[in-house]
Amino acid sequence: MTNPKADLLQGTLDMLILKALSLGPLHGYGIIQRIRRMSDEMMHVEQGALYPALYRIEQRKWVKSKWGRNETGRRAKFYTLTKTGEKQLNEEEASWDRLALVVAKMREAT
Amino acid sequence: MKTLLARIRALIRRDAVLHDIDDELRSHLEMEADANREVGMSDEDADRAARKSFGNLASIKDRAYEVRGGGFMETLLQDLRYGIRLLFKHPGFTLVAVATLAIGIGANTAIFSIVNAVLLRPFPFPQPDQIVMVSEGAGGIVSYPNFADWKDDRNLFASTSAVRSNESYNFTGGGEPERLQGRLVSAGFLSTLKVRALLGRNFVADDDRPGAIPTVLLSHAFWNRRFNADPAIVGRPITLNNQSYTVVGVLPRDFQFDLDADVTIPIGLSADRFKARGADPGIIVVARLLPNATEQQAQVALDVVYARLEQEYPSSNTGRRAYLTPMHEYFVGSARQPLLTLLGSVGLVLLIACANVANLLLVRGSTRKREISVRVALGASRWRIIRELLTGSFLLALIGAALGVLLADWGTAFIARQLPGSIPRLAEANMELRVLLFTLGASVLTGLLFGLAPALHASRLNLTDALKDGDRGSAGSRQHLRSALIVCEVALTLTLLVGAGLLIQSFFRVMQVDPGFRSDSVLTMQVSVNNPDGNQVDSFLKQLQENVRRLPGVKSVAVSNGLPLVTVNHPTYFIEGKPLPKDGAAPVANRYTVSPGYFQTMGIELVKGRIFTPQDTPTTPPVAVIDEVLAQRTFPNEDPIGKRLSQSRDFRSAYEIVGIVRHVEQYNLDNPTIRPPQFYFSFNQISPDRLPGNTRRINLLLRTDVEPTSLTSAVRAEIAALNKDQAVFNVRTMDDIVSESIAPRRFSMMLLTVFALAALLLASIGIYGTMSYAVAQRTREIGLRITLGAPRENVLRMVIGEGMKLALIGVALGLIASFALTRTMKNLLFGVSTTDPLTFLSITLMLAAVALFACWIPARRATKVAPLVALRYE
Repeated sequence: MTNPKADLLQGTLDMLILKALSLGPLHGYGIIQRIRRMSDEMMHVEQGALYPALYRIEQRKWVKSKWGRNETGRRAKFYTLTKTGEKQLNEEEASWDRLALVVAKMREAT
Repeated sequence: MKTLLARIRALIRRDAVLHDIDDELRSHLEMEADANREVGMSDEDADRAARKSFGNLASIKDRAYEVRGGGFMETLLQDLRYGIRLLFKHPGFTLVAVATLAIGIGANTAIFSIVNAVLLRPFPFPQPDQIVMVSEGAGGIVSYPNFADWKDDRNLFASTSAVRSNESYNFTGGGEPERLQGRLVSAGFLSTLKVRALLGRNFVADDDRPGAIPTVLLSHAFWNRRFNADPAIVGRPITLNNQSYTVVGVLPRDFQFDLDADVTIPIGLSADRFKARGADPGIIVVARLLPNATEQQAQVALDVVYARLEQEYPSSNTGRRAYLTPMHEYFVGSARQPLLTLLGSVGLVLLIACANVANLLLVRGSTRKREISVRVALGASRWRIIRELLTGSFLLALIGAALGVLLADWGTAFIARQLPGSIPRLAEANMELRVLLFTLGASVLTGLLFGLAPALHASRLNLTDALKDGDRGSAGSRQHLRSALIVCEVALTLTLLVGAGLLIQSFFRVMQVDPGFRSDSVLTMQVSVNNPDGNQVDSFLKQLQENVRRLPGVKSVAVSNGLPLVTVNHPTYFIEGKPLPKDGAAPVANRYTVSPGYFQTMGIELVKGRIFTPQDTPTTPPVAVIDEVLAQRTFPNEDPIGKRLSQSRDFRSAYEIVGIVRHVEQYNLDNPTIRPPQFYFSFNQISPDRLPGNTRRINLLLRTDVEPTSLTSAVRAEIAALNKDQAVFNVRTMDDIVSESIAPRRFSMMLLTVFALAALLLASIGIYGTMSYAVAQRTREIGLRITLGAPRENVLRMVIGEGMKLALIGVALGLIASFALTRTMKNLLFGVSTTDPLTFLSITLMLAAVALFACWIPARRATKVAPLVALRYE
């Protein structure tokens, strides 16, 4: 249905979020920080992109959310990866690996 | 109910969801500020930096909310609000689209309300499908003595009644004399229809016999008008035709059956008038089937009765049968085909309107492309976008429908006023619930029809291209869709135009039919002379003609019994010296009793012999004038002049044929197969003792050399001078009578023509719009061509050629559709075939010319493109 390029763009962000959450439940702010650290400061996700994406994957039941308290005692909403979310992450990582492999092989070929 | 509750919960949930998002974003902000403080910022700076990094909080919230979404109702309201804002933002678009839809939906609503009133709505009687009409033969009428023989046979019907609708009465003795419409009925009339009198009682068998005390039921309107709705009227006498009738009751307000009647009177009182078994005095019979009996069972039983009647009365009943027709079919059956044709046509107009609005939406879709791309990029689903666009379409359709209902309400009233009597029950058309439901359904369907393709189109976009800028991204496929719409519009329009063209042609062919008389400059009116003294009647008629003839502007005057296209008697006739026809097989003719001036006044040409003169009197030998049809049919190889004609097989009174005149069209102009023989007797030869029986309803005719209706009041004054109690009614010109006789045909023709022209207008707007848009899209290219030296004519030809290519494909498809569809109109046409080449050719040329013009305007604009402006364009 949707455009493949649009899928790619969204899919990437979705995968980053799922990856971040695969290390344990986290709130929105934490997800942005974790993605930044995991990418060696190379990837910064905007809040304006994060929340719509979070809500979307929540609606797809890849994550579930629950209000709780963070380490400093602030109220925050924590997101947890679900079983389907894990499966989705595995699939996306596999396809990324395939893509990376293809791209790498093509580059070596020249 | 359950879903409704869920919807309401969703509305409440909206606040909860928004609140939740709000909380979450705030907690995020605070954590960000905490982090800033940790690296040593001041509280104030920490907050400000956090906010800054966050961007526009409200817009994030909105976008986040859009993804999480609300319930069905919430989304709907949101889309509606957005839709309304957009409508106000583009008032030009809104105006054109709403007007187009209002006309399309309005026309459909108007026609459907007529179809509903005429064809769908049952007659307002209990169990209407049990009511049937009985007819002997095709004329729909029944011989009264035959009816009297079986009317009380309870093995046949539960209840029956004879009805003679077109009676008239002089009402006197209560202020101004008034001519009343009356109907004669049997005692079982109201019980057959299962209607109760509003006041008083129904007729009983004892009222319905010769010599009974005369009784009458009043219509609600007459009771109101003349008696101020006085309930004490029941039991009081009123004077009709100089005779006293006791009012036994008042009919309900909405009571209606066949023609309207002010007074309803038992037919049995005047049974003597109808005692000839072989005659057809215009009586119709309504009956209610026995409970649980089918029409077929009643028909079988009726066949047995008629077989018996045939044995008993061979002279009148040989070959006579009676047929049942459901009441609804009997009264409105003839209106079905014209109405369904109109409904179909108006549906096509709506389709064209949809195509036009879809075109407009496609153009607007291109301007909203960026906005839609951004939303898709942010994660709005395609379904969500389509849904929002469709909500906008439904909104447009509903606004159009609301205006359309107003238009339709006005339109049906207008049609009913303009064309009275053209379609039965037309005046009852109104915006009742069923019509409004139809309109609602039509508008939802319309919204889907014109909204779906553009919505699918707008939501299917190449994201990166669209975001980058190009409106050119998918312009190609949009142009394809628009082209397809144009082709459809042209094809539909051609079909409608051909249909209208055929009806217009038929109408003019009917107008050209020679009726056998000259209808121009003739004023007619009816007077009913109710005077038992024949000598007084005789002198009244002679004096009246004398006085009217002396009025300035009057060329000739006549009185007649029987008038073309209005009324006539149809007795049997016999010719002396010819073999007598078998019992029951005697030929029937139209009989007119006329004064000597009739032929000149009506402009009926003499073919041979002479017409009546004042010298023909009751004491000279009786003479008759016959028409060409009778002459040819009865005297194919001999001269009819001098032969004798009689209305009875014993030739007790025989009339010598002295002249032959042209045949006149008696029933309608558009049925050339019905050409009954006709003969004329002279009023002057009726002896005074027989005159009163022949003057219940006579026509006074005058040919004028001024505008005929300008003489109306002068003639009325002459009549009043002779007898101040003499009622005059049905004052009409002969032209009016001709025009009324073709009113149903004019009704279909005019409406279909209006629809076809509306379609033509919409289609040309569509072509114009599409071509203008195409030219605007290609301004740069065209400018380039001109800069590079392409002659402007080439550009003109290119643009026109493209538009005309679409138009011609449409024309070709339209021609195919027309060939298929006009066949269903066969019965509505007259003197023109369903594939009339002239109509097809001229319509095709006309449509092509209009299309050419619609292409030419944008094409010319394209040639005026200044190269430099064009290159800078975009």
